[in-house]
Amino acid sequence: MSGEKYSRKSFNAFFYSFAGFLFVYSAYLFLSNLDQLFVTDAAIKTREITSWGEDREILNQFAGGFWKDPYFWKSLNLTIVITLITTLIATIVGVPTAYALSRYRIPGKSVVDVLFSSLMVMPGSVIGICLIVMFNYGPLWDLQNFLGFKFAHSIFPGMVIASLVLSFAFGMSAWKATFDSVNPRFEQVARSLGSSRWRAFKTVTFPLAKSGIATGVILAWTRAMAEFSAVLFFCGTFRELPASRFSDFTKFLQMDQADWVSVAVWAQVEFGNIEYGFALAFVLVAIGGLSVYVMHRIGAKGYVW
Amino acid sequence: MIEIKNLSGNLGEFHLHDINLKVNKGEYLTILGPTGAGKTVLIEYITGIYKPDKGIILVDGEDMTPLYPEERNIGYVPQDYALFPNLNVRKNIAYGLEARRMPKDQVNSIVTEMISRLKIEYIQHRMPLHLSGGEKQRVALGRALTTEPRLLLLDEPLSALDENLRTEMARELRRLQRDVNGIFIHVCHSFEEAADVSDRIAIMNDGMIIQTGTLQEILESPKNAFVARFVKSQNIFDAVSDGFNLKIGQTTFVQENSFKGKVKVAIRPENIAIVKNGNGKGKNIFPGKVRDVKFKPYFDEILVDVDFPLVVYSKSERHYTKGDNITIEIPPDNILSFDS
Repeated sequence: MSGEKYSRKSFNAFFYSFAGFLFVYSAYLFLSNLDQLFVTDAAIKTREITSWGEDREILNQFAGGFWKDPYFWKSLNLTIVITLITTLIATIVGVPTAYALSRYRIPGKSVVDVLFSSLMVMPGSVIGICLIVMFNYGPLWDLQNFLGFKFAHSIFPGMVIASLVLSFAFGMSAWKATFDSVNPRFEQVARSLGSSRWRAFKTVTFPLAKSGIATGVILAWTRAMAEFSAVLFFCGTFRELPASRFSDFTKFLQMDQADWVSVAVWAQVEFGNIEYGFALAFVLVAIGGLSVYVMHRIGAKGYVW
Repeated sequence: MIEIKNLSGNLGEFHLHDINLKVNKGEYLTILGPTGAGKTVLIEYITGIYKPDKGIILVDGEDMTPLYPEERNIGYVPQDYALFPNLNVRKNIAYGLEARRMPKDQVNSIVTEMISRLKIEYIQHRMPLHLSGGEKQRVALGRALTTEPRLLLLDEPLSALDENLRTEMARELRRLQRDVNGIFIHVCHSFEEAADVSDRIAIMNDGMIIQTGTLQEILESPKNAFVARFVKSQNIFDAVSDGFNLKIGQTTFVQENSFKGKVKVAIRPENIAIVKNGNGKGKNIFPGKVRDVKFKPYFDEILVDVDFPLVVYSKSERHYTKGDNITIEIPPDNILSFDS
């Protein structure tokens, strides 16, 4: 017992030191004058020549002032809203699917299992390409023509689809493992005692699986937020598109002319705005770190609420 | 009364063939068989976890086959007891009553009575994780019995207990069954356990019920060599019969039977007599040499070489030792022969 306590303490010490170091170091890098660290005057001049927007120079003046740019807030808003929608869809569809795969004898169950497991080892770019092919040919293309709008290169539902694939696969792996670990005998006994299938799930399986379900939700959330290649391939960037390309609804939601944060990091670095890119990356690190911390707390406590 | 008629089902690895079984009210039946015989699967079919491919299950004349487990009112205690780890002992026992939406004060009084009947007042607020094997079993029994099930299915309820506790709990199961005057169907693979608790025993193998009867009926007239072996007839041999005599190796036994040609022969060790002073007057008297002796609490188990090895139980005061010459007698009625 004391050995367990000791190892838990050591793990906590390691975790907090590592997370603390990452945070302090990231903050230091960001808050210090990055122009002086990474970018020489000559490079700034070069960048001014090669940059592709009239507001580049304003951005170059940022050394910690990224919050003044609406692009940053719109991108963050877009990413958080889409990630929330993705996580919600993944949870609503994934939890019952994982339960069914874990409990019932379903034909082709192993095929579905292999499919989801193999998705997890596939790079996002492959997922992106597959989505482009899927949605630009065949029945899904016909469906889009019928509906009158295109899924690819759209915020709704393009970004949701692109971020959902891996988010769903990661969430599913956690939820299925959780349901697999809850002995089905509990439900069988509960039903023999007069409980309906739903009551048996609600009173026995769910309380035993809730920390695993919550872990799966956080995993789905973090994976969706960290998605990059699939979103970039399937949806591209939106910043440079004219305002007329965005619907009033998108504008109302403050998501027009904004990018998925991880895509924005790439775009900013690609166009020479290293500071801006790093600022966005720092925000992602903070959100990711917080999510992993919450997941660790749930895992450590074994319960959520 | 429960009646199972022509029940068949296939679950891939496990299958049941044409199961026919009848258990009367107030009867304790044990389904006895080796691992993989299909005992647990049969129990799962009775609880309603699986639907059979063929056949029906009648309880008090009502067809249970199309009903869901929650509609059957059949108590089930699985091998690992499956106490709900998120509920304490009291809440575990109350679970079935709450599922029936019984008023709280009624639930409380029934649970309190059950807890006192099982003498587990001291653990009623503990979580299942902190219970011993015997305590878990009592709680699982209490949980299953509070709903007054039409029958109770017990899947190897004593296998997780140590030997002393097993005897005690077997006695308690029997007491409880008489107390509630219900139908108990108990599954196990131990003949001693079955002998301890049962009114009747059903021997099962390879998804089929081979024989059903009282302990005495099964001991005296096992249906085949498998049953004989399972109820500890330790002497089972291949023999050749001419209808009047049996030949095992070079030794001929007198035993009238209805077979001709190859047969299986079973002789229970306690049915072999040791003839004192070598003066046997009956049939089938053979000299032999003691090859091995095992001392047991109430008898000695002797391995005697009579052209072939025979296990014999000796209850006499004399203790034989390895190398002793002895004479044994096997009355023809005590030799059982089966079609090979």
